[in-house]
Amino acid sequence: MKAFVRTALAAVAVVATLSACTTTSGGTDPEGAGSIVVSGTYPIESIDPHSAEGGASGKDLIGQEIFSRLTRPDPQGKIIGDLATDWSADAATTSWTFTLRSGVNFSDGSALTADDVVASFRRLLGGDSPAASNFTGASIESSRPDQVVIKTAKPDAALPSKLVTFFILPKTVAQKDAGFFKAPVGSGPFTVKSFTPGETIVLAANDKYWGGKPKLETVTIRSIPEIAARLTALRTGEVDLVWGVPNDQLADLKADSNLKTEAVATNQVYTMWFNSSVPALKTAAIRNALWKAVDFNTIIKSLYPETGALADAPVAPTVFGYSPQQPKTYDPAAAKAELTAAGFDFGKPLRLQFANPEFRPFNQAVVSDLSKIGVKIDLLEKEQAVFIKDLIALDWDVNFQMLGTAGFDAASNLGRLYTCAAKRNGYCNPQLDELLATAGSTSDEGERKTAYAAASKIIWDDAVGMYPMTVQTAYVWNKRLQGFTLDAGGYPDFAKARVNRS
Amino acid sequence: MSAPPVSTQTTAAETVTFAPARRRGRVRRGGVWVPLSIVLGYVLVALVAPVLIGYDHVATPVGDRLLPPGASTSDGTTAWLGTDGLGRDIAAQIVYGARTSLIVATVAVTLSALVGMIVGAVAGLIGGWLDVVLSRLIDVLLTFPGVLLAIVIAGLFSRGLLTVVIALSVTAWTPFARVARNVTLSIKEREWVSAARLMGIRRPAMLVRHILPFVVPPMVAMATVEFALVVLAEAGLSFLGIGLPASVPSWGQTVANGKEYLDTAWWISASPGIALFVLVVSVGLLGDQMSARLGRTGRSTGS
Amino acid sequence: MTRVVLRRLASSVIVMWGAASLIFLIIRLAPGGPALVLLGPDAQPEEVAELTTRLGLDRSLPEQYLAYLWDVSRLDFGDSYRLGQPAMEAVLTRLPASLELAAAAAVIAVCVGLVLGLIAGYRRGGVVDRVTSALTIGLQAFPTFWVGIMLILLFALVLRVLPSSGVGTPAHLVLPAVTLSLPFTAIVARLTRSSLVEEMDEPYATTARAKGLTDRQVLIGHALRNSLTPVLTVVALQLGALIGGAVVVENVFAWPGLGSLIVSAVNNRDYAVVQAATLTIAGIIVLLNLLADLATARLDPRIRLGAA
Repeated sequence: MKAFVRTALAAVAVVATLSACTTTSGGTDPEGAGSIVVSGTYPIESIDPHSAEGGASGKDLIGQEIFSRLTRPDPQGKIIGDLATDWSADAATTSWTFTLRSGVNFSDGSALTADDVVASFRRLLGGDSPAASNFTGASIESSRPDQVVIKTAKPDAALPSKLVTFFILPKTVAQKDAGFFKAPVGSGPFTVKSFTPGETIVLAANDKYWGGKPKLETVTIRSIPEIAARLTALRTGEVDLVWGVPNDQLADLKADSNLKTEAVATNQVYTMWFNSSVPALKTAAIRNALWKAVDFNTIIKSLYPETGALADAPVAPTVFGYSPQQPKTYDPAAAKAELTAAGFDFGKPLRLQFANPEFRPFNQAVVSDLSKIGVKIDLLEKEQAVFIKDLIALDWDVNFQMLGTAGFDAASNLGRLYTCAAKRNGYCNPQLDELLATAGSTSDEGERKTAYAAASKIIWDDAVGMYPMTVQTAYVWNKRLQGFTLDAGGYPDFAKARVNRS
Repeated sequence: MSAPPVSTQTTAAETVTFAPARRRGRVRRGGVWVPLSIVLGYVLVALVAPVLIGYDHVATPVGDRLLPPGASTSDGTTAWLGTDGLGRDIAAQIVYGARTSLIVATVAVTLSALVGMIVGAVAGLIGGWLDVVLSRLIDVLLTFPGVLLAIVIAGLFSRGLLTVVIALSVTAWTPFARVARNVTLSIKEREWVSAARLMGIRRPAMLVRHILPFVVPPMVAMATVEFALVVLAEAGLSFLGIGLPASVPSWGQTVANGKEYLDTAWWISASPGIALFVLVVSVGLLGDQMSARLGRTGRSTGS
Repeated sequence: MTRVVLRRLASSVIVMWGAASLIFLIIRLAPGGPALVLLGPDAQPEEVAELTTRLGLDRSLPEQYLAYLWDVSRLDFGDSYRLGQPAMEAVLTRLPASLELAAAAAVIAVCVGLVLGLIAGYRRGGVVDRVTSALTIGLQAFPTFWVGIMLILLFALVLRVLPSSGVGTPAHLVLPAVTLSLPFTAIVARLTRSSLVEEMDEPYATTARAKGLTDRQVLIGHALRNSLTPVLTVVALQLGALIGGAVVVENVFAWPGLGSLIVSAVNNRDYAVVQAATLTIAGIIVLLNLLADLATARLDPRIRLGAA
């Protein structure tokens, strides 16, 4: 028996030693110094940029690395040209002409022409992508090999910003083409070396990239769902970059001399709509009083001192159309008095819905403040499918979402969600509709800004929702990694990144 | 035996409690009292929680967040076990969480044991097609690892106490049913049961009077193992974000809430984890003692 | 023997049919369909209706059920809505990692569990036995994710001897396999102990002792081998549970197995993947059962199949 135990112990010791050895030798970068490993917020489940994929996704991250698009946001959110060098609209802003960059080739060597753009746009519209709803009724034509014209059904001043989610594939790709995406051909800075949906994607530098071959040989994007494991990997050097780091973890990471940390302003705002169509929340007085009852400033300073800031508009400052408003003051006593005066029914709980455990602490803190003045809240954490179903059906009283503004243009947020026709939050105001229509259809930037400022004021003053916080994304990376873009949209670009061979 | 075959597959609960009695009679008296008093202590705490500590799970004094054990909070009290990411007292969460965890586990296990016992005993007693169908149903459920089906159910349906209980019970009753069936089958052939049958005693009466008294003891022993598994499974669901709703304090929730803070604010997970650990070990030891005293399995009863 | 095999096969088919039906039923009872998740909050009602039709989800339940059974019987699980590939393909890419993890955990559990069980069984009633029983209960008394994260912090962050997560080298396998094996180790240890205790009380052991053999000789010469058979059978049968039950471990260690695939598929209402993955696991379990039953029947002619 003793012999048995001894043998077993010896075996365990050998295994432990062996495994320790393999790590130490495997700890150095296996693919040379020009390779990095990064781990973002969401898993990448599909690399077809035109496919359906709801909820949070890593698809735009990967799209920009392997494909090109007509326009793209720069790291601060300003719309710049990618494949398009120049664009202009007609007077009615229903017809946009894009001039294409010349000499762009796909990674297989074939030339990218206007035909590819046209085919890709039609593929996007024909598919189930949520992005297709940006272009309802639009059509595309090409009159010259270096030019495409997109015609929209209604005047659309924000079209260039909406096109940032439109990626261009070779024209030969069919609507359903699993074969192509096994070895996709694109015109972005990288090509796909290997891809396991939801887990890992390995990108290799595309030497035919029109912007110049990237300095990195490979970029591996890994999904590490558990934050503790993700940050450990960062600290041990297994991973070079992590973004979307929770606020509470930043202090430890900052203390690590191998790491650099930076929080970047995004286009996202914590948005808590009131359902204005339910009797209890019909009046602006009640909605404003509820807003007044929550000490958002303290909550944000405690929970998100570095990754959040008190919002002062329905859209983030990085967004075109942002216009700062008069901050709401926290005054629970006044709130209670106003609610009582407005005949608010304290006995009936309000249903607050949200979808992601990440937002649970924030919402619990809000519920806590509201309960202090006697407002009862049923906090309902829903699972994504049910959340969306109830959201659309307006089956809620207060709805929490971290709402981004795609393309950094208020058109895709205010213009899309706050009209009477949108029926997204039960709020309907013909005056607001008119402002939003103007803002969405004139090509004059100054005029658009004025209209969005007026719209923002109505939304803010009428408290269509509470807009507590603008969100910052914390990037933490190993010092050896340099030159990647700290993107405001949470999609860092590695086209110009390099590693320091120290 | 003319009974249709049930596959030989076993589950964790069965495997563990199928341990035959310590035949040499080495059951120690003290061995029962220590774990039993610990378990009773938990029950007591759960029952009188509101008297012990005043606690409002909704209130989130964010100014007091992530305080280490022993720190004083802004309202002058001492957080003996620290506070969580929203400034709520961990000690109070353990006391109040005991209620939820015990209720969930008790309901789920009682439900599983009752359903399993009735299904198993009826299948064994009546036999024939009913037995075939029920045995197949058990086989079907056993093809899914319990935790897997729990995850599918808890993930698909809206969050709530009921969903969690159902998710945890849906496969948990099958080991009970199998053991109950085996015991019933062996009892059925005994003389007094045959005699009762000849005397014309109706089946329901026979079930209650002659069969169940033999089925219940091994069920009790199995229930202890199942209880421990359920308490842990609830924590697992919370970790995956598909457990109880946030408004209900439970150990699983608190342990899972601390998962991001294991290297900075370890106390969030540690104390409820220890509470859970002690309960699971006590219940396990109790189960050991019970199987030693009561755990007559189908095999040993038949021999 | 042929009859036994045929009967067993037939019952396996029936069980698989039941499993397929059960999973279909659970999924269809759930609120919120895939169309909404796929199209997101901006979905227009017409788009949702159109996609639902295209996915074949607007048909009546019995109609869908029959179509589903017909497809499943031909091993056609359809395409994943989300991954853009056949559901079975997604499952098969993940299966090797799951098998690897389950096998490694089983090996650890058997090695450690056997040693613990043998020590306890050999010195039954003694201090060692009591400590071991307490230990085996303790092994399964911590939430898996807690153990996993603690192991990451200890071995990857503090000691820096093992990688924190992911796959690649054998070293990547150590932490997840150890974490997954803990409760299983406890089961093996307890089973070994009770099996050994029982064997040592068998008439042949008593006879051997009467002939003057020491406890130790009886153990090594006879009881050990006999008591291992039930242990190994249970281990084989529990492999299925290890493959499907590793969800939490896979999440903690970013292990690309079936469990994490199922969790994300459930969240996204990716019916095809949920069905393909759960039925694959069910199939493995049924297969293991079938093999175990047949092996038992073959090895021991006394065991009449059916004497449960």
